Amino acid sequence: MNGNSLKGGPLQGVRVADFSVHAAGPFAGMTLASLGAEVIKVESSARLDITRRPHTMYGKPPSSFEQVNANKCSVTLNLKEPRALELALELVRVSDLVLENFRPGVMDRLGLGYPQLREVKPDVIMVSLSSNGQTGPESRYAGYAPMFAALGGLGHLTGYADGPPVELRHAMDHTGGMMAALAAVAALCAKKPPLYPPLPQWGLGQRADVSVRDIATSFMGPALLDYAMNGREGHRQGNSDDSMAPHGVYRCAGEDAWVSIAVGSEEEWQGLCRALGYPAWAGEPGFGDAYQRWLNRESLDQLLEAWTVQNTPQQVTELLQAEGVAAFPSLAADQLMRDPHLAARDAFPTVEHPEKGTQRAVAPPWQFSHSPSGIDGWTPDLGEHNIDVFHGLLGLPESEVKALEEARVIW
Amino acid sequence: MSREESSSSHQQPDQAPQALAGLRVLEIADLVAGPYCGKLLAALGADVVKVETPPQGDPSRRSGPFPGDVPHPERSGAYLYLNTGKRGVTLNLSDAQGRALLAELVRQSDVVTHDKQQGQAEKLGLHPDALLQANPNLVAAVLTPYGSDGPYAGYRAYDINVFHAGGEGYLLPNGLALDTFPDRAPIVAGGQMGSYQAGLTAAVGVVAAVYARMNGAPGQAVDSSAQQAQLFVGYVPIQRLEAEGLVEDRFARYFRVGGVLPARDGYVELLTLERRQWDNLVHFLGNPEWATPEKFQEPARYGPEINQRLREWFAQHPREWLYHEGQAHGVPISPYYSPAEVFHSPQQRERDFYLSVDHPEAGAYDYAGLPFHLSETPERTTRAPLLGEHNRQVYASLGYSPEDIVSLARSGVI
Repeated sequence: MNGNSLKGGPLQGVRVADFSVHAAGPFAGMTLASLGAEVIKVESSARLDITRRPHTMYGKPPSSFEQVNANKCSVTLNLKEPRALELALELVRVSDLVLENFRPGVMDRLGLGYPQLREVKPDVIMVSLSSNGQTGPESRYAGYAPMFAALGGLGHLTGYADGPPVELRHAMDHTGGMMAALAAVAALCAKKPPLYPPLPQWGLGQRADVSVRDIATSFMGPALLDYAMNGREGHRQGNSDDSMAPHGVYRCAGEDAWVSIAVGSEEEWQGLCRALGYPAWAGEPGFGDAYQRWLNRESLDQLLEAWTVQNTPQQVTELLQAEGVAAFPSLAADQLMRDPHLAARDAFPTVEHPEKGTQRAVAPPWQFSHSPSGIDGWTPDLGEHNIDVFHGLLGLPESEVKALEEARVIW
Repeated sequence: MSREESSSSHQQPDQAPQALAGLRVLEIADLVAGPYCGKLLAALGADVVKVETPPQGDPSRRSGPFPGDVPHPERSGAYLYLNTGKRGVTLNLSDAQGRALLAELVRQSDVVTHDKQQGQAEKLGLHPDALLQANPNLVAAVLTPYGSDGPYAGYRAYDINVFHAGGEGYLLPNGLALDTFPDRAPIVAGGQMGSYQAGLTAAVGVVAAVYARMNGAPGQAVDSSAQQAQLFVGYVPIQRLEAEGLVEDRFARYFRVGGVLPARDGYVELLTLERRQWDNLVHFLGNPEWATPEKFQEPARYGPEINQRLREWFAQHPREWLYHEGQAHGVPISPYYSPAEVFHSPQQRERDFYLSVDHPEAGAYDYAGLPFHLSETPERTTRAPLLGEHNRQVYASLGYSPEDIVSLARSGVI
């Protein structure tokens, strides 16, 4: 099919029917697309994806470029129409993988549940992403990113020690999408003969049930073991660490300018002292060893900040890194886009569109030496690939596609 | 029972096939990000051999938590959790004989993952070019804070640095925490979230390259940057700057209505992002007069007033009641759970998310499992290895006799 896909990536030849909406699910589809899969986003004018329209609560106008759907093809199907459901199942029949993140039960209600998908394609892989998982007493509860983190425990562990918990937002959503991508590629691998014997049964499709709440929990395994071992409740602790000091984010010269610094060894502490020119306080007994520094970390932080505020985050970083100390500016979006290191790594590729001009995207975080990953396709217009997919891929006459568009089936 | 029904259970017989069965992975990585990548691959069925430097091994063996708070290298919760399902060997890569052994292990592997930065990787014989020369079919995956090239490739970094290098750190906190402490420094996400996320991202790169191999592609290097992993999942501020010219800061990124609300016994999250959810909330509150539809249309103007009212009302009710009653009313509310509450969560327990893992030195505890379930190739979580536990097994498979192995151990190579 003459679509919108990246060429030559590691997942070349994989076709994904992407029924997902909002953030986490579409991010999984975009990740697979950035690895070379052909991802066909199935959407509808009957209920526009939230990323296609302005939003009261986010208070933002629709962006002309939406990273989360880049490199996908877009088709429209009004799934309330029986003929649209038939076409959706036809699409599933020629796809390797189905991706969805509706609330559990919705795909079944639409006629697109796992049993129905297996009827048309017995070895289909269905990846379902949800707040709480497909089963259990809370499976049908509504959720958004900060709620996954709240339920899963990461929210409780994030924030100032003397303040409330903190919302984790897009990164939590999209990490859900990344985990779904892992499940998807693992399931694809499971259909192939392994690289190395033994060779048991292969070629199976399967259902992947991804719970984003469980992702938040699985990212705090040691805190849970502390509870299991010692009955101890972990609590949020701002920028403090259990053993490192100094460890924090420090104010610098400039407006809302900050640098992160962490000292994890005696060698690094000596490096910090060298970079600061051995200030008198560094020799005080209260900072004599790692444990003393940790006990007195509040006064240590104040003394260190008295130095950082005289320098920009970049100056602090250069001085400390030259002495082998971990430091880095806390970067805002504009600083990230100007950063020479990220530029050298081509982290913001330019995407071109014949009418809309050019815009920069965020590259995926991998560099493959043989099979490239990347983002090189603009987010498709709603239904942009209706002819390519329904005529080119599924073999409907073009006139029928047009007629179904007019009948608001392909819509 | 149909297959569909049986797929709801997380307890599967040990002999069930696994997604990555037969895949031989060699891991040379410490602390969180690299080991989390290997842990995921092991849970999916790969045979992961973890290489640790003698005599102390992975520094996470010293970081705890420890049972009874007594430090012991075989009882660190961080190590035990991040290294489930792996076999363990010791190998000194600063020794020439150690590097020769490494090359033999590399030739027997399908995947090598390591976390050594520019300079150090070359010194230890771990540059992808060298690895691919030893084994052209290899997936040579490197996960470092800033990637293997570029001006910052050699920069030292811990979790807090990488998190703040990717844009998300600059935007934390917001909402109630920012209202309470508007002048404080931005913070890092709890639990070293950024490092786990980087490890997960690296794992996706590895399995994608493995899939390409299964389809006939040659071996290749996969270079992952933890900074770019943060940036990729946190792309939204970049997109807003490109599309709208807006540089987000902590004050701009803010839910105008709801967010973190104090309840009678802790905190809950409330998010009414859709019109019908706002209507449901108004109904749940008992249709107070102040809650007019116009207010939802202009959250920027009415947000502070609405939130004041919401805080007063929510503070009178316990979290569990707000959660279950709110959800029954179609209002997205969830409690902020502590580790103990998460550990006892009926939802997660019902789904067998926690798995009891026994360990000869540390004892048996419930561990958080894999956050997804594959119906036909279930995950498996077995214990982390003791330091050098599989030296005999692994080096014998290279053809070394028991006497050779003793002598390698005596000379400090393994």
